[in-house]
Amino acid sequence: MNMEQLVNHVDGINRLLARYGVKFGIYKNQTFHEQLFPFDAIPRVISKDDFALLERGLIQRVDALNLFLKDVYGEKKIIKDGVIPEEFVFSSSGYLAECEGACPPKDIYSHISGIDLVQGKDGNWYILEDNLRIPSGASYPLIARELERRVAPDTFRKNPIIDNRNYAKMLTDTMEYVNTGGIRVIMTPGRYNAAYFEHSYLAERTGSVLAMCSDLFVEKNHLYYRDYRGGKQKVGVIYRRISDEYLDPMTFNPESLIGVPNIMDVYRSGNVAIVNAPGNGIADDKGIYYFVPKMIRYYLDQEPVLRNAPTYLPYYEEDRKYVLENIHKLVIKDVAEAGGYGVIFGNELSKEKLEDMKELVTRESRRFIAQEVIDFQDLYIVEGDEKVARKADLRAFVLSGETTKVWPSGLTRFSRNPDSFVVNSSQGGGFKDTWVLSQ
Amino acid sequence: MGAISIEKLDHLYWLGRYTERVYTTLRKFYRIFDDMIEAPEGSYTYYCKRLNIPDIYTSNSQFAEEYLYGKDNPDSLYSNMSRAFDNAIVLRDELSSNVLSYMQMALDVFESDNHASPLLELQSVIDYLLAFWGCVDDYVEDEDCRNIMKCGKYIERLDLYIRLEYHTKDIEKEFRKLLNRLHKTQMYYDAAKLEKLKDMIDAKIHCPEQAEGKDAELLDYLGNIIEVR
Repeated sequence: MNMEQLVNHVDGINRLLARYGVKFGIYKNQTFHEQLFPFDAIPRVISKDDFALLERGLIQRVDALNLFLKDVYGEKKIIKDGVIPEEFVFSSSGYLAECEGACPPKDIYSHISGIDLVQGKDGNWYILEDNLRIPSGASYPLIARELERRVAPDTFRKNPIIDNRNYAKMLTDTMEYVNTGGIRVIMTPGRYNAAYFEHSYLAERTGSVLAMCSDLFVEKNHLYYRDYRGGKQKVGVIYRRISDEYLDPMTFNPESLIGVPNIMDVYRSGNVAIVNAPGNGIADDKGIYYFVPKMIRYYLDQEPVLRNAPTYLPYYEEDRKYVLENIHKLVIKDVAEAGGYGVIFGNELSKEKLEDMKELVTRESRRFIAQEVIDFQDLYIVEGDEKVARKADLRAFVLSGETTKVWPSGLTRFSRNPDSFVVNSSQGGGFKDTWVLSQ
Repeated sequence: MGAISIEKLDHLYWLGRYTERVYTTLRKFYRIFDDMIEAPEGSYTYYCKRLNIPDIYTSNSQFAEEYLYGKDNPDSLYSNMSRAFDNAIVLRDELSSNVLSYMQMALDVFESDNHASPLLELQSVIDYLLAFWGCVDDYVEDEDCRNIMKCGKYIERLDLYIRLEYHTKDIEKEFRKLLNRLHKTQMYYDAAKLEKLKDMIDAKIHCPEQAEGKDAELLDYLGNIIEVR
């Protein structure tokens, strides 16, 4: 593809990204630092056919996950029918008993799903994990595309790239579909949150009110935004960018200073839509991930279009045996961790540490999953004057409103370390735009 | 967009004040810097006194560096620019990314390591701040938002003009601008204090001998007409 013009201007684009404050926050030694998110101009390119396949698979997966959430906080048929062992649900930190019986507007739990995938060298796409709580990252390729088009119009004139700048409209439509009647709010814990840029940028682009907890209050079982003249505006939908545990000190963590007291009562009464719904953590638990293909068969009576990375649950004896015998070539993930933390590659451990790990996996079998290391395709990045290959994943964004839709783009994150598979921004990675071709 | 919360009111007002503080003091600094070329050591003392900031400086050149760039100095222009930025960054939805970018670029100038010729470098801060205000008029749709920021701006400007002994005509002009904005905004302000302030500024212009020695009182009224945190 003709992208020379774009690649030649990568420094200019990075300068513009800095100008617009495209950053992410990170805490080091308990101090907050903001860092630029390095952009690489060579995009990930997804062919029309590949995207059609991804689209089918991702819609199928997210639909099944939404049905699972409805079921697990309702009738629990999937447990009663023995498809998922109950201990995998009720012992998960993502399962919130407080959400039992609460039905979100239009039965949508995961409005914005961030599904992480990699493409293997065999060409197959593999799902690495589902993020159904507050997945971040869409804003980066969204703003990058705007700037790419500015500096390299020819690249976009000559290549059939689907415009991704409709994300704000998709998000607005998704929020409006579940709006119970009132203003749209994006709630942020504040500027010292890692994804603050995204919160504020999406508020700007969707024309939503960016609010902090002190701007919101509950009165007579409705949620309101308070203005400085003492007036109030009813909130119909809140895209909250804070974790469940901090959302409502009256229901969850009583010490939370960044939540809105009694918002859960308003939600349970159907008087406000919370995007994404509280309690979704149960569906993106790394242990539950193993069961998603089974969910697809169970709820949709379909074969999964997209594969999971081959995964083993040490909880099952047979799997545990395999894991203990092959731990040196597997990747072990702690189900309680996120952001690239708690990921251990067996081939990087010393003999002693491998033995310790085996013991830990045996002792706390529910705490870990093990996966085959997928030999996934490297993507080229520009480093200095040369192109070098690096590991990269893709976070696809699936929005569930009136219908479930996949954003024709996504966040491609890459590792800058040639020996690392970890692509998270918090661990020094960068990002690329993701181009989906229309022909 | 739309409704302005108490939190946002506070940020808008202080964004206006800190932006103006950097702009006016930086412009003033150009003059001071020039004066210091021939002036004896310690000539900055008068300036510190007028601005009511502690004189922690040891020489003219150290003042030039520390007052501009001192990271741990709460009175440095860098610190004031950081505060302006801190208030702006939480207002992206009100201001827009375009407006905010000028604050980012102004801050970046202070944060760059290039201090070799400060006035050459800091000229771009003045340019960015002017562009910022131009952009505010162009991009910020909500009139109340603009008025709140400008109330902050003119209160700060008046405060500095009074402290730095600007000509009374300038003070009168800025006071008129403040009144214009204040009447347009829906902010609560203390009408009695405003009346008193009006009288004192009138006295300063028309009967300077009567107003002599009353600047501290004047500044106190000015700082308290609007109820923000």
